[in-house]
Amino acid sequence: MAESTKSNVRSHKVGTTAVVYASDYLNKLTGERIERECKKQLDSGARALIIDFSDTELVNSIGISILLGIIDIAEKSGALVVFSEVNNETVQLFEMLGLTRHVVLAKDEEEALTTLSASTKAMGH
Amino acid sequence: MNPSSEQVRRILGRVKRAEFVGRTAELERLLSHASHAAHAAPGRDAAGLLVLLSPLAGVSELLRQVYDQLFNAQGDVVPIYFSLPASETTAVSAAIEFLNAFLAQYIAFRRNEPAIAQASLTMNDLVQLTPVVDLDWIEELVNGYNKERFSDGERELVRFCLNAPRRVPATNPQPYVLFDAVKLASYSDEQVPFANEIIKALVGSPSFTLAGLRREIIRDVEQADVDFGKLEKVRLEPLAEADARKLITSVAQREGVAISDECRDLLAQQFEASPFLISAMMQAAREKHLALDSYFDCERLYVDELLGGRLNQYFTSLLENVAPEPVDRRALIKLLSESLSAGQRTASFASWTKRLNLEPAYVEDILRRLHVLEIVNWDGETVDTQRGSHAWRDFVRSRFRLDALREPRALVVADLMSAALKRAPQTIARHYRRIASLPLRDVLQKFNFQNVPSVLFDYAAFAQNYKGAPTEEIAARLEIERQTMKLPQVFHTAHGVAFSAELKQFDEESCVVAHAFDGPSYTNENEIIWLAAKIDSKLEAEADVVEMWCNRLENLAKRSGFLRVQLWLIANEGFSAAATEKTRQHGAYASSRAQFELLSAQVSDSADKSATAANNEFVFILPMGADNELLAAATAEQIARRLNFRPEAINQIKTAIVEACINASEHSLSPDQKIYQRFRVEDDKLVITISSRGVLPANVAVKEGASVGETERADAVDQRRGWGLKLIRTLMDEVEFERVDEGTSLRMTKYLRS
Repeated sequence: MAESTKSNVRSHKVGTTAVVYASDYLNKLTGERIERECKKQLDSGARALIIDFSDTELVNSIGISILLGIIDIAEKSGALVVFSEVNNETVQLFEMLGLTRHVVLAKDEEEALTTLSASTKAMGH
Repeated sequence: MNPSSEQVRRILGRVKRAEFVGRTAELERLLSHASHAAHAAPGRDAAGLLVLLSPLAGVSELLRQVYDQLFNAQGDVVPIYFSLPASETTAVSAAIEFLNAFLAQYIAFRRNEPAIAQASLTMNDLVQLTPVVDLDWIEELVNGYNKERFSDGERELVRFCLNAPRRVPATNPQPYVLFDAVKLASYSDEQVPFANEIIKALVGSPSFTLAGLRREIIRDVEQADVDFGKLEKVRLEPLAEADARKLITSVAQREGVAISDECRDLLAQQFEASPFLISAMMQAAREKHLALDSYFDCERLYVDELLGGRLNQYFTSLLENVAPEPVDRRALIKLLSESLSAGQRTASFASWTKRLNLEPAYVEDILRRLHVLEIVNWDGETVDTQRGSHAWRDFVRSRFRLDALREPRALVVADLMSAALKRAPQTIARHYRRIASLPLRDVLQKFNFQNVPSVLFDYAAFAQNYKGAPTEEIAARLEIERQTMKLPQVFHTAHGVAFSAELKQFDEESCVVAHAFDGPSYTNENEIIWLAAKIDSKLEAEADVVEMWCNRLENLAKRSGFLRVQLWLIANEGFSAAATEKTRQHGAYASSRAQFELLSAQVSDSADKSATAANNEFVFILPMGADNELLAAATAEQIARRLNFRPEAINQIKTAIVEACINASEHSLSPDQKIYQRFRVEDDKLVITISSRGVLPANVAVKEGASVGETERADAVDQRRGWGLKLIRTLMDEVEFERVDEGTSLRMTKYLRS
């Protein structure tokens, strides 16, 4: 399992799944960092993305719009996206802005990996 | 603790401070101005205050009271009160009197001997009384005066005298001049441009208050090339009705005149709350040992006074000042009387020139003076004569009959008395009707973007949900009404009769036209005219009356060229079902008296609340950027915790604040790059206002109501940027943009119960 923090965004890979960690405040700056990291992971062959929100306390609308952009990019690459350990308040915001219709939420990273594994099997990969 | 004898000394005041009625706010304002002037940095521009009077207002006692308080305080400013003599004087003699008063009052203050302030003393006497510390500059001033007195230049002498306050050494307590220039018009024929000299001298003095008739002072200040905008202003209107009644009671007591409550109310109305006219009547009653127990007593004294007493003297001198030549005066009285009797409001300047048979320049002089006295309105071309007090109009009519028509005096007296007696009950009845009627214009004037329950403008909904409920219950339920509407900001109101002669048949208060803006910016699109009418009906108003009023108001709008209008009908007992249908067809709001009163309380409350809110307010200013919105969120969290908001609600507040700060930073092109935050704690809610300076962003004008859940993933990124406002609206209970001149001000409310 390789871990990277080069762009100030912590990430690591589990097989073909990239796990990217969001910071405590998801705004334009930190959102764009996550976006760059996700793109980098997809370019280097990741087939699925887990964005981990365990450290995230506050999310703003610009951060959310960037997350939607990441979902778009992943879809175009045929990659799945799972959000893990999202706190209740942030889940509410995601729901309000329709994000939860396009992404799977998992309790934690382990559940996210399980979900992705099941989805991959179901799709016959 | 009793105030010391020095604190209660009456020096120039004609009444005791406790008996001085109705001008407390103005008195405080003048005292505060004087105190401020005393502590201002030396060498700064003179601190001037203009007291702009309506002709019926009266100001001399106000200035005298200010004088007494400043004198008794024995503080850093030396009060100097001067009132221009009424007549039979010249600019030179008035200026010399000013110098004399200045020296007497300065010395009186320095010696703390009030008697000197009013003593009749020569310059030499005053020098003898001068304290040693002031002797040098006062001697120099008196010597200078003696030199100027014997020179040829009148204007130089006037200027020298008026500029005396500037000669007080900077290390001395500085004079604060209270200049009563109500009689300034009497000096307009002078060779010396007296108004100009007075204003320039005052502006050059350490600090001052200049009081005078508003139309005159504004014009004279502008003509003296003084920046009107830089001077503070206090506007003096006639006393409020309640204060006028208090004044009558107080003056009657002081003069030892017995007066009934009915007569007190009549005089307050008849003299339009004018302190001068009221005092004149009371003094006359005292001199004649009359009790004012009935309308008969009042009107008999009034007629006596108007034809031969103080009122006569006052109006005669006023006329003599306007038209000094008897022959011109007679022509003027004839013209004024005829236009009053004919009920013809306006005439052209040309017709005045022709009727007076005088040179146009002289007619201009006369009209300018009448305009200053607000006896006519003259705009350079049209003359509106339906002005001046009732007493003035009675005076003009009676003078015309006596002087021009040569009618027997006994007949004029009898007719005047008869007319006054017939008018008295009508005057009072009109007054009582006005008190009892719905203050439509007052309420409309208070419209200022408040959010009020929509049901207050929908009689049918109100009747269904609230009719019959106890008042307290209605008030409590209205507090939590979810359906609200934002009132417009009204900037001008007028009675409907000012727009349509058809409305003359109704009470003046029956119909009001209110010009307003109902959007966040002052644009043509946002301008709206509310046309409100009270329907006189003891039962629910019927459809035919409603139809008639709607048509009447719509015609008024059409004739006046109003593009966007909102009709609003108010009927005491509401509207029948058919009438309600009619209001809907015309898009009119409909309210009963009960709804109107609830609305009135709400718009008044909002004004009161904003005045008291400051005690529970926290204000923070943060620079934009650098994630500073997190600081704002943390502050809100602390405040919300104190109010015991649930953790979930606290997070919602924090997110809303973050979004509001981002919006303010992103869209406003702010010149100072700051975010202004105001947190106001109320009983059951937290009100947060996030403001910034700059331009008004386009998204502020976006119409409300779009559901947040409708957002589609396919939205373009730009549209996603609009999410901030949608999030705020979802997370907070009430969200609205306040009207600001620039930038934005977003007010967000979160209720504890939510």
